[in-house]
Amino acid sequence: MARVHNWQLGREMSYWYPESRPNKQFAAVFDTNKCIACQTCTLACKTTWTSGVGQEYMLWNNVETKPYGFYPLAWDLKLLEMLDGQKWSEKEYEGQKLHTYEGQTIFESAPAGERVLGWRPEDQDYAYPNVGEDDCSGQVDGGASYSLQHMAQHMAWFYYLARICNHCTYPACLASCPRGSIYKRPEDGIVLVDQSRCRGYQECVKGCPYKKVFFNSMTGTSEKCIACFPKIEQGIQPQCFENCIGKIRLAGFINTPDKAQADNPIDYLVHIRKVALPLFPQLGLEPNVYYIPPIHVPHSFTKQMFGPGVDDAVKTYRNAPNDPDLQGLLALFGSSEQMMTRWRRQGDFVSGMKDDGSEVVRVPIKEPVHVRQPYDRLYQITRTNCP
Amino acid sequence: MNNTIRLLIVLALFSLAVSGCRSAIATTTEVVAVQAKTVPAAPTDAAWNNAPEHPAKLLLQDLVEPRVMKASTAEVRVRAITNGTEVAFRLEWDDPTKNDVPGPARFMDACAVQVPAKLEANVPDPQMGGQGKTVEITYWRADWQASVDGRPDSLKEIYPNASINGYPFEANSLEKGSAAQQEMATRYAPARAVGNRRVGAREASVEDLIADGPGTLSPAPPAGSKGKGAKSDKGWSVVITRKLPNGLAPGVRTQVAFAVWEGAHNETGARKMRTGWVPLLMKGAEAK
Repeated sequence: MARVHNWQLGREMSYWYPESRPNKQFAAVFDTNKCIACQTCTLACKTTWTSGVGQEYMLWNNVETKPYGFYPLAWDLKLLEMLDGQKWSEKEYEGQKLHTYEGQTIFESAPAGERVLGWRPEDQDYAYPNVGEDDCSGQVDGGASYSLQHMAQHMAWFYYLARICNHCTYPACLASCPRGSIYKRPEDGIVLVDQSRCRGYQECVKGCPYKKVFFNSMTGTSEKCIACFPKIEQGIQPQCFENCIGKIRLAGFINTPDKAQADNPIDYLVHIRKVALPLFPQLGLEPNVYYIPPIHVPHSFTKQMFGPGVDDAVKTYRNAPNDPDLQGLLALFGSSEQMMTRWRRQGDFVSGMKDDGSEVVRVPIKEPVHVRQPYDRLYQITRTNCP
Repeated sequence: MNNTIRLLIVLALFSLAVSGCRSAIATTTEVVAVQAKTVPAAPTDAAWNNAPEHPAKLLLQDLVEPRVMKASTAEVRVRAITNGTEVAFRLEWDDPTKNDVPGPARFMDACAVQVPAKLEANVPDPQMGGQGKTVEITYWRADWQASVDGRPDSLKEIYPNASINGYPFEANSLEKGSAAQQEMATRYAPARAVGNRRVGAREASVEDLIADGPGTLSPAPPAGSKGKGAKSDKGWSVVITRKLPNGLAPGVRTQVAFAVWEGAHNETGARKMRTGWVPLLMKGAEAK
């Protein structure tokens, strides 16, 4: 094992290979507060990439309902149970909070004979995609409301967690493969399974803590999210981003914190405003999909999921209406299918730009409000809004 | 108790002791490939009775991660027959479960025969060879055997109750069997599209491979190797036939190694039970 730096942990850690960061790292920010679990992203991915024989159960993109929903079943709980004490320490340095992970990563707690700490789902574990995970199981007027007092013994909250491959800086799938069939592209950090080299050992399926590598029974190899690299190569955001009707996603490239650029949208949200956080950073993979945590969920839960920065992230996000830059950048989400690797705010408008500074799109931070009168004089008809 | 009964008890105990051990089978400390006009293809062929059996102890693959930490298959019983151009090995091992259906977290029963690519005094590492010390491997897998034996290449064979609405390649706009339909089918089967046929219809239940150390396993040029495996209640009996290793001729000695994967123990890839090098003598003339 080599020693590598993982900035999400605030320390060095052990990894199977030496540190080798790509020239650019694909990254994304998902705003969980905007997701409505319509699964348009899931279907956009499914129809594009996984409509073949043997791919039926594969969801390279899925949206699950936390805390009760999983795909595959209990993917996170099973590993968290195996991973001892996930403690973080905090200290102040020049007015900044610095967090250090004091527990063990899945690489550091690998059992004897293994490369990482992991588990392998069985096919039944994939039998429960999100179909009605968020349905109320009884009549609301019969007392099955989440907000009623007598339901207090149950968790009276949920939120949607959209998940794709995190194209990790330290992928556990890549570390797990005994024959080097998984590689991380130097040009954009996208992690891919070489379909000509894979022999279907499923070590990657076992190793990936996010369970985003899937075994295809009909090709005998493992397959995973490819971040729609043919689109990214043309400067277009992946399918699940482009088709997201909730506009919760923004794709781009991330720098390490020491090289953070304020005009890079991902850097700004992750490093500068620290409003977007990695998914289970304690596992040690330095995942590159960042989440704006749900603001209405107990922090004890979201801290385990997104790390110790949750309090500050929620505070910053809640203040967005008074924060033109943050509000502006959030308005850029879903505003174009093009990759926007730079951004700037000018007054009430925000622009997304390419690397060369050329403008891709300019959107108002606040859309003008039109109030439609119930009675339409032109057509002499009364219209009411649907409930 | 009269003498007749005593004698019967003694005789019964004696016959029990004899049947309990395998003293009836000639075992050798090396694999001896006996000469025959033809090499038998089937594991049940009577010709195997002419070859001595070498019971090879299987060791844990505990040298490189991922390792096997708990022993599964204890030994593989090997016989070998050569016709001067080919050599056939019959590998038999105990295995109560048949694992020949692929799927998530399902692993296949399998076995392999490994020989050094070159005949030289300084043999490669028995664990997959090493840099510049290539080994040749012939690998047999239970699901490939099932395919060769006629199991259709269909998801229904794996999940009989699967209900599928349809696939893009089944669209009415695509003519059945046309190139366009084929293209659509492989579009969603990337490994098949690049010719990496790990599962599905195939002509042989074995594949020829070479390796220069752990993690370097790669396809070898087609060598026409053959395999035939049969499962009984007791275990597997598999014949792997390959051309004689380079430079090997009757009377010459080389090394051979074996590996067995027990699917029920999630063994796959590096997770396997294996032997060290075992001397292999090609019968026919005096050993050199």
